[in-house]
Amino acid sequence: MASAAKKLLMDPFSDNNPITIQVLGICSALAVTVKVDTAIVMSLALTSVVTLSNLVISLLRNVIPSGIRMIVEMAVIASLVIIADQLLRAFLFDISKQLSVFVGLIITNCIVMGRAEAFALQNPPKESLLDGLGNGIGYGIILIAVATIREFLGFGSLLNHQLLPDSYMGNGLALLAPGAFIILGLLIWGQRTISKYVEE
Amino acid sequence: MREDTRTLVFAAIVCVTCSLLLSGTAAGLKNLQQANEEFDVKRNIVKAFGIDISSMDRPGIEATYEKHISENKTSDDLPIFMWTEDGASDPSKFAFPISGKGLWSTLYGYLSLQGDMQTIAGISFYKHGETPGLGAEIEKPWFQKQFAGKKLYSDEGKPLDFQVLKPGANLDETSVDGISGATLTGKGVQALIRKDAADYAEYFKSIKGN
Repeated sequence: MASAAKKLLMDPFSDNNPITIQVLGICSALAVTVKVDTAIVMSLALTSVVTLSNLVISLLRNVIPSGIRMIVEMAVIASLVIIADQLLRAFLFDISKQLSVFVGLIITNCIVMGRAEAFALQNPPKESLLDGLGNGIGYGIILIAVATIREFLGFGSLLNHQLLPDSYMGNGLALLAPGAFIILGLLIWGQRTISKYVEE
Repeated sequence: MREDTRTLVFAAIVCVTCSLLLSGTAAGLKNLQQANEEFDVKRNIVKAFGIDISSMDRPGIEATYEKHISENKTSDDLPIFMWTEDGASDPSKFAFPISGKGLWSTLYGYLSLQGDMQTIAGISFYKHGETPGLGAEIEKPWFQKQFAGKKLYSDEGKPLDFQVLKPGANLDETSVDGISGATLTGKGVQALIRKDAADYAEYFKSIKGN
């Protein structure tokens, strides 16, 4: 892969991660990370939405009238999210029940709108696609990391396979939003220490 | 002016394209989604009858439902589900839908009674928005298993004061352990069981008299 394309795709994994560096998409990172399976499905849903929305908006970038730019972006994103939600309901019913409103809330996830505004509007389709894919995966990595820690501490299991003996009581804090905040905070700290990122 | 026209035309094209795409998807997937939802209801009714469904697959659950369960209405037009054993002519267990407020959300489920129309055979919750690890424990086997064998109606068919108590309290035949950290969800469960038990009291009294 050419190095420019590689940078577009890989940068959001760590050095420019949407969650740990830009602190976007926190809401769903707290809400759907109780179990690993929901986190994986949520990551897949968001990755496909942000990749496709970046592609579509990049393709339209020269014809969108500037006055209704944001509304058009919202229409594209909302349509993609509803399609993703419909597909989940048809094919992954149990998980879609657990994700409940959070699939719909991808519409308001700052990462999707942010990438459309900041990248796809100025860049050609191929680069935009890679940028969307990279940001989706970067989001997914953090989501799954948080979910792994929470499910293990909270239930003693991973992907619903019991790892710790039944006598393990489960840590209620890990299952609640404050537990997610603490874990996410530690991840952000670790990540920023490694990538030497300093808030300006 | 030309710029305005272009904006309007563009907006119209975006709207039409998006709506076509969405209605196409919704129409195409409707059957699958409906089948999923119907199956979810059936699965929870089977579960409410006290059947262990954890090792059953989808066709197995559907077959059990078809074979044993029939639907009916009470004289007040409330839905009632009946379980008939193999070869028996009369139903041996009865289930009815229960619903009411928990802490964050409305809880939906089913409750079933033994043939004596007093003793609970099983309970299930299939829809709620309670906190995972706390209120959401109502969907866990340890919580639901407690209900089997408890009394919902007196010998005369009057609803008893069913209680969800604080964990560790002394339990009798009309009370179950609540969930620690989820007192309000437990209160909700208690309230909805009492309310729905009262609604169905007349019906069970009438069939018991026969």
